[in-house]
Amino acid sequence: MASNILNKKFTDATRYVLDDELASIVNVTMALEMPLLLKGEPGTGKTMLAHAIAESLAMPLIVLNVKSSMKLVDALYQYDTLTRLNDSRFGDSHRNVSNIEDYIKMGKIGQAFASKSRTVLLIDEIDKADTDFQDDMLDVLDQMEFDIIEIDKTMKAEHRPVIIITSNATKDLSDPFLGRCNFHHIAFPDPKMMRKIIAVHFPEIDSKLMENVVITFYRVRRIDAIEKKPATRELINWIRALKSDPDFKPKALAKGNIPYLGVLFKKSQDCERAVKATNRGRVF
Amino acid sequence: MAACFRNEPMFIDFFYSLKNAGIQVSPTSFLTLQKALDMGLINSLDEFYTSARAILVKSERYFDVYDQIFAHRFEGAELPEYQGIEIDDISRAMLEEWLKTPRDLAHALDMDEAELLQLTPDELIEYFKARLEDQKGRHYGGATWIGTGGTSPVGHFGHHPGGMRVGGVSRDTSAVKLALERRYKDYTRSGLLTQNMVGEALKRLRNMIPVGPEDKIDIDKTIYQTMKNCGEIEIVFSRSLKDRLKVILAIDNGGWSMDPYIPVIQTLFDYARSQFKDLKTCFFHNTVYDVLWEDPARVNRPLKVENFSTFDPQTRLVIVGDASMAPYELMAADGSIHVKERSGKPSIEQLKFLAQTFPHCVWLNPASSQMWDYTPTINTIRQIFPMFELSLDGLEEAVRHLMAK
Repeated sequence: MASNILNKKFTDATRYVLDDELASIVNVTMALEMPLLLKGEPGTGKTMLAHAIAESLAMPLIVLNVKSSMKLVDALYQYDTLTRLNDSRFGDSHRNVSNIEDYIKMGKIGQAFASKSRTVLLIDEIDKADTDFQDDMLDVLDQMEFDIIEIDKTMKAEHRPVIIITSNATKDLSDPFLGRCNFHHIAFPDPKMMRKIIAVHFPEIDSKLMENVVITFYRVRRIDAIEKKPATRELINWIRALKSDPDFKPKALAKGNIPYLGVLFKKSQDCERAVKATNRGRVF
Repeated sequence: MAACFRNEPMFIDFFYSLKNAGIQVSPTSFLTLQKALDMGLINSLDEFYTSARAILVKSERYFDVYDQIFAHRFEGAELPEYQGIEIDDISRAMLEEWLKTPRDLAHALDMDEAELLQLTPDELIEYFKARLEDQKGRHYGGATWIGTGGTSPVGHFGHHPGGMRVGGVSRDTSAVKLALERRYKDYTRSGLLTQNMVGEALKRLRNMIPVGPEDKIDIDKTIYQTMKNCGEIEIVFSRSLKDRLKVILAIDNGGWSMDPYIPVIQTLFDYARSQFKDLKTCFFHNTVYDVLWEDPARVNRPLKVENFSTFDPQTRLVIVGDASMAPYELMAADGSIHVKERSGKPSIEQLKFLAQTFPHCVWLNPASSQMWDYTPTINTIRQIFPMFELSLDGLEEAVRHLMAK
């Protein structure tokens, strides 16, 4: 039934393992034309989801990486005064100096609005910006239009983009913000899911290596007092490192001999703690 | 399928039970859910479960509560009995506490440490449970922590010297949230402040000053200069804005009363060190007398308080301490419990001096704000410094205060 309403429905993409829960949330959210707010530990694939949606629905993906100093207008459009000044002085460009519109460049949100086809708009790490930015942006996304003051024109979205917003914050975003989007929290994948994810990334991985790697990974994640626990991204890189080492034997992991801990633990303190813990064999 | 959810009074009930359980469900989101049902997007109970959660519940902290109410409404599961489970939880927390500081806990329970040491972890848990059951008579409010607000040593805010907080630092953990071993249980307890969380709270504490190379084009000035040059373009560069906030962080690192808060303060300190370019950290015991110390041991590098007047008054002064001491330590001219500190000025005068020198100052108190009224020295100090709780919310308020003009 849902497929009648959605022309396209979101299913697995090539590099992304989707669980049913998330798939149905994405589909409902797309049908309701609401933004989807994703939270979860770093490395649980929040950003990857937007890439996967864009890939599976064959829509262009536009990524807005939010920065702490960002103003909303930067995300919407930019008035390139300097080029205009330059053109007015030298007059050797094809642009019409008296037409300000020639000097308006679209920001990421503006591009998504101006696009001739439906796009996926990923607003990454919204929690970096301050609350005002977040609320104002949601207003724009709600109305699907914004004003360009310089040329007194309203920019209206031709197609409502599929909006995915990610946040790493442990603290909740503001109420008006939350009121306007649907919410999902991506939990850290369980070992079963993790095996699927590894299989997607390394289709011809040796089953012995897979088993040992997954067991070891969940063990090192349990080491006490680790500030930044290794996530999927670290695991994938780690497997890559292990595979490229000709001397490495999967059996070594079971014995508590874990090479390349630096790939899993990025903070020096964490790495030291992990080395200590594995040396003492405390994790096993 | 859609119709069968729609006009069910059970469905409206579901909405209200979520609301009553403290989940902030807005009528708008309820209507959105109706819309989704109308559009035929939801075709099974599983889909209803996930979609309703995505639409109605906006924080993973409430996922667990949602799970329980959902199970109750749609699968007839009984809502959990909080009492038993809570006691399990507390005894587990006590076991952790015991492993860390056996002596404190033995003291708190009026037990002999050696006696407790003979028990295995399982036996210990049983023992704690029995003790907790004994205390039921002293409850202040049904499903809350045992001995809340009382003087029981195992309670949350006990006055007992060895008293500790059972179950972490955060206070907003309600009994309902602790109820079942569910998937989202970990997210419902806010636990210890981590460096990340402190970072988030302190994010807004900054003071932008132009620094660094002149690499940013100043458009207004460029246009002005160009006009002055009769249209010959002259591009004017300026420095970009960077954060250069001066911060003095003074930490009470003496005495047993601050011991339970060391991990939290350590986190704050770690973060402050990486965040602020211009940070001076100093230490004191209980309250400030003639000097603050730059070394944690408070021996080698004294900083005279009177010299603080030479510092930039725009400096943000953050004092961390529980502000709990005997009143004479604050009021008497020779109040210091350290014999060497005898200046003739009572500590309260020094504190007033600091507050006047630095108009942007706060006192962060790791003790719960509910308990502030019971300690006279906290009240006195609160009249000098704006005091905030050393919790995520408290930090945020403190930052707002520090940044106010």
